Amino acid sequence: MRNKKWLPTSLAVVTAVSLLLAGCSSNNGEGAKTNNTNSSSATDEKTEEVSTDPVTFSYFAFGTNKDVLASETTIGKILQEQTGVDWKMEFVAGDPTTKAGVMIAGGAYPDVISPVGELAMLLDAEALIPLNDLIEKHGPNIKRVYGPYMDKITNEDGNIYILPFTANIGGYLTDPDAGSSIWIQRRVLKEFGYPKVKTLDQYFELIEKYQAKYPTVDGKDTIGYATFAGEPGQFYTVTNAPMHLAGYPNDGNVMVDMKTHEAKLYQGTDYEKQWLQSLYEMNLKGLLDPESFTANGDQFKAKLTSGRVLGFSGYTWQIGDAINNLKKAGNDDLRYVSLPIVFDESITDAYMDPPSFVNNRGLGISVSAKDPVRIIKYWDNLLTDENQKLVQWGEKDVTYSVNEKGRYVMSDEQLANRNDNEYKRKYGWAYFDYEWPRYGDNSVYEDGNAHRPFSQPEVANINYTDGDRALLDAYGIATFSDFFAKPVERPWYPAWSIEKEQNSPEDIFNQKAADLQQKYYPKLALAPEGQFDSVWNDYLKEFGKLDAAGFEAFMTAKVKDRVAGKW
Amino acid sequence: MLKTNSTRFSSIGDRIFDAGNYIFMIILVFVTLYPFINMFALSFNDANDSIRGDIYFWPREWTLRNYAYVFNESNVFYATFISAARTIVGTAVSVFCTAMLAYAISRPEYKLKKFIAITFIFTMYFSGGLIPNYLLIKELGMLNSFWVYIIPGIIGVFNMIVIRSFIEGLPEGIMESAKMDGAGDLTTFLRIVLPLTMPALATVSLFVAVYQWNSWFDVFLYNSSRHDLSTLQYELVKILSTSDTGSSAADQYADAQGSADIVTPTSVRATMTIVASLPIIMVYPFLQKYFVKGMIVGGVKG
Amino acid sequence: MEKQPVQLTGSTSDDSRLVAFFKALSKQKMLMLMSLPFLAWVIVFKYVPLWGWTIAFQKYRLGRDIFDQAWVGWDNFTALFQEQQFYLVLRNTLVMSSINLVLGFVTAIGLALLLNELRRIAFKRTVQTISYLPHFISWVVAANIVQTALAPEGIINVLLLQFNMIDKPILWLGVGEYFWGILGVTEVWKNVGFNTIIYLAAITTIDPTQYEAARIDGASRLQQMWHITLPGMKPVIVILLIMNLGHILESGFEPQYLLGNGMNVEYSENLDIFVLKYGIQMNNYGLATAAGMFKTVVSFIFLIVANNLAKRLGESRLY
Repeated sequence: MRNKKWLPTSLAVVTAVSLLLAGCSSNNGEGAKTNNTNSSSATDEKTEEVSTDPVTFSYFAFGTNKDVLASETTIGKILQEQTGVDWKMEFVAGDPTTKAGVMIAGGAYPDVISPVGELAMLLDAEALIPLNDLIEKHGPNIKRVYGPYMDKITNEDGNIYILPFTANIGGYLTDPDAGSSIWIQRRVLKEFGYPKVKTLDQYFELIEKYQAKYPTVDGKDTIGYATFAGEPGQFYTVTNAPMHLAGYPNDGNVMVDMKTHEAKLYQGTDYEKQWLQSLYEMNLKGLLDPESFTANGDQFKAKLTSGRVLGFSGYTWQIGDAINNLKKAGNDDLRYVSLPIVFDESITDAYMDPPSFVNNRGLGISVSAKDPVRIIKYWDNLLTDENQKLVQWGEKDVTYSVNEKGRYVMSDEQLANRNDNEYKRKYGWAYFDYEWPRYGDNSVYEDGNAHRPFSQPEVANINYTDGDRALLDAYGIATFSDFFAKPVERPWYPAWSIEKEQNSPEDIFNQKAADLQQKYYPKLALAPEGQFDSVWNDYLKEFGKLDAAGFEAFMTAKVKDRVAGKW
Repeated sequence: MLKTNSTRFSSIGDRIFDAGNYIFMIILVFVTLYPFINMFALSFNDANDSIRGDIYFWPREWTLRNYAYVFNESNVFYATFISAARTIVGTAVSVFCTAMLAYAISRPEYKLKKFIAITFIFTMYFSGGLIPNYLLIKELGMLNSFWVYIIPGIIGVFNMIVIRSFIEGLPEGIMESAKMDGAGDLTTFLRIVLPLTMPALATVSLFVAVYQWNSWFDVFLYNSSRHDLSTLQYELVKILSTSDTGSSAADQYADAQGSADIVTPTSVRATMTIVASLPIIMVYPFLQKYFVKGMIVGGVKG
Repeated sequence: MEKQPVQLTGSTSDDSRLVAFFKALSKQKMLMLMSLPFLAWVIVFKYVPLWGWTIAFQKYRLGRDIFDQAWVGWDNFTALFQEQQFYLVLRNTLVMSSINLVLGFVTAIGLALLLNELRRIAFKRTVQTISYLPHFISWVVAANIVQTALAPEGIINVLLLQFNMIDKPILWLGVGEYFWGILGVTEVWKNVGFNTIIYLAAITTIDPTQYEAARIDGASRLQQMWHITLPGMKPVIVILLIMNLGHILESGFEPQYLLGNGMNVEYSENLDIFVLKYGIQMNNYGLATAAGMFKTVVSFIFLIVANNLAKRLGESRLY
């Protein structure tokens, strides 16, 4: 019945056209925004006391998850009891950019939005309200947590639009289970008495030696080295390598000098050449898997789980399934371990993430929000120590325990629950532990316990198998993180989170440079004998046509801004 | 009635042709059936085991967990109902309207025939774009409604052309004699054209039904916040996106804590393929009975 | 054709023609009732959104109305046509869609003819139903199967090695030159069954007595296929051909995207992927719209030429 409206409209074309034009002009963000400031200031004047009348706000995240009503989860229910606020939580399914596009075009927003990759678009459309005043008036806890990062969360126009997820407090605890993106099979290390492997040459040499000794496994040829670059979206696996090998952390496509803070592209440098030349030489020896550049994710994972691959490159989030599968299968010889490989002995590895602040991921309040004050108060309440423990550890004696030394621990069963996706959804961790204003992953509570259960050594230890312990013992270290150098403070880190304006010269440079790498990397790595240099020269010539200097100047300026405290 | 055609006149050449044809068809059946066998095997195989690859025709480690995972979504059954509703209503409305329009523009005497045909045909080759279409639906008040599945697809231009060419293939005498008997255009259309173009209507119904059943993009765009209007395909898209634990690869900040999950996108996708396509696949065998040769008596036009 | 009063030539003829036109039209109320509501529909749903084409002349920013946009004239078109990459992807698009067009038509018509020759009805229906199954597999799944089959240790290489047709495995998806062929075959495999349906429907309109007569004249099966079945399908074939020629710049998106990789990118990247990368993903709606308009112009040219050609050859035509 409600839809009867369409009939007369669709028959009368003229009406439709005029309607449409009227529609367009009412869509601008400006109008909605003025409304909102009125309403929010009106609420401000009313009263300062926190209302706990039941209310349901809408939450939309451009990340993926299953839609839920917050009060249906344990955590959501507890928070609702404290505040009276419930959330209708929705997540994007389908292309996020398209979703953001129609959301903006339609002009009707959910109350709060976690924009993930669509932040620039939403800011450009003025879809988010400034939070400065709200925080000032209603957010003592927000100020406590985000106070030290004010310069980083404030936009160029002086406003705060989102509260990021990485505000570490109380210290900085590194991940006990950190890894790199370059792996070796454990039987290779075992065979040669657990040697120290530091440089790329040593790494490839070891593989070569092992392969010569055992050319086949179970009747199938062993594969020396493979990299996961067969899907266009995963190509960064192979392009990021020179940066890591040169001793730099993941700053996107640049390496930032520690002293001068110059941001230099590694594309077209000797680092990149050295990396590709190594692959080229491996290929000539028949040790590089040519499928590296064509295999899809399933094929690559199947190859890893077959145990035939001696060494490979890939990030944990790409190949986690295969790693878990091997762990479950229980044959430690066939499992992999990631190593701090660099170009030469003089380089200190930088695989472990330095303390970082990702300021382009966060949660914001939209211009359509009915009651921003109530929302900011909910967030403020969420940021108490107590509630932060709730969203990470859960309830004491239910989902974790405290031992006699005051340390938080988990039993095997509790840990299994904390890892189980279904349980995480039911309990609410899947919904509350990430895309909300929160303590950063590396935070430490005042009592010395880790904020993240997985950063608590007592918990991480449970995850180790006997094989893991044996390997760690052989190298005389306690955790896998001990393989790697301690991270160094890099005040700009990570440079990949520097927002490039959409369709700006930098944005286009990024895409074109990546296109070029995609085209030339396979050509270089698989070049016929003696032709590497000529292909490399072609590549340099093509790359020379792009404005690399302009891009570097842009990045350097942004990095220097960050170092100077202007994020 | 076709049996009479295949009498025993067959020459040796014909027999060789038949044999070759049968062999070809058997190969074709194997090649086109394989993806479904493969999806079937994957959907019943343990997801963690499937990572090892090499699953082709039969599951290696049987499990029902993939199906449990998909059906566990409370919404799946209700969404199937909505999918069925949009498929039935959408197909009925669209085929009837499209056939009616096709009839009108197939009448040689109709003065607006060419104008209307061109106006429709051109729309196959342009689009105003995503945003203008979205705004149109919004202004027409069709956001968050069932009708957004039906109204924008009332006429399929391709289908209209197909039906028109079948109507034009009907012997002109039939329509003439109907006119002589005093039948108006509506009567001719309902009583004569519709029954005589059953093979075309069956074909077009299949096209529309498949389109309706498989659509999820309009749900995503227009009805994503109305869970009670969600369709099976859209629910499956959602399940798929959440099953991908390592999905945030694009988002490098994503939490990389590999939790021991029991499903993988590959297994879920295989299960979805079976769940979502079996119902619609059943439509074709049902429609095949309308594909009978010689239905239109003497209906030949070169 | 209906009879019309003889028209006079000269200046008065326009008026009288118009009068005659409306007079005739007024007698066609039922036909108008059966078609004009849909004309209104098509204008609302297809023509009204064309205001979106103005975006091609803007540096479009979402969420602002049409009067607040920055107008840039033909800049988006210039940017598109000056892009080196554009001509490469245009070539790939044209080649791939031509291959798809030809292969698609030939195989679907061929399969329809062969299915028509099957005498056991149950077998025929089974083959029909099974052959259209791959249409219901998503491209992600289909691409995965193709990639598995074409891997160095996949079934294709195993078979070729078995029959000594090659002496070492070929990295099929790693050789750019093979990509177009692989894509063509994949498209046929996935869609031939579905595409056949319409021809099977066309065959039902053929008068069975024609076959009877041909058999008495001693025509072989192949001759019957060639002289009766194929001509009987011709009107539908010609119409579909004209329509598809209009889609010459639509070569698909998903298969190229999924089967594409660094090694074959110079052959696999097509217009739609280019527009996705440089238009939509960068929020450059202006460029994306300009590319869309370019496609429409090309479509119209092909459509009109094909239709006129059909007209001249005396075949059935689209309008």
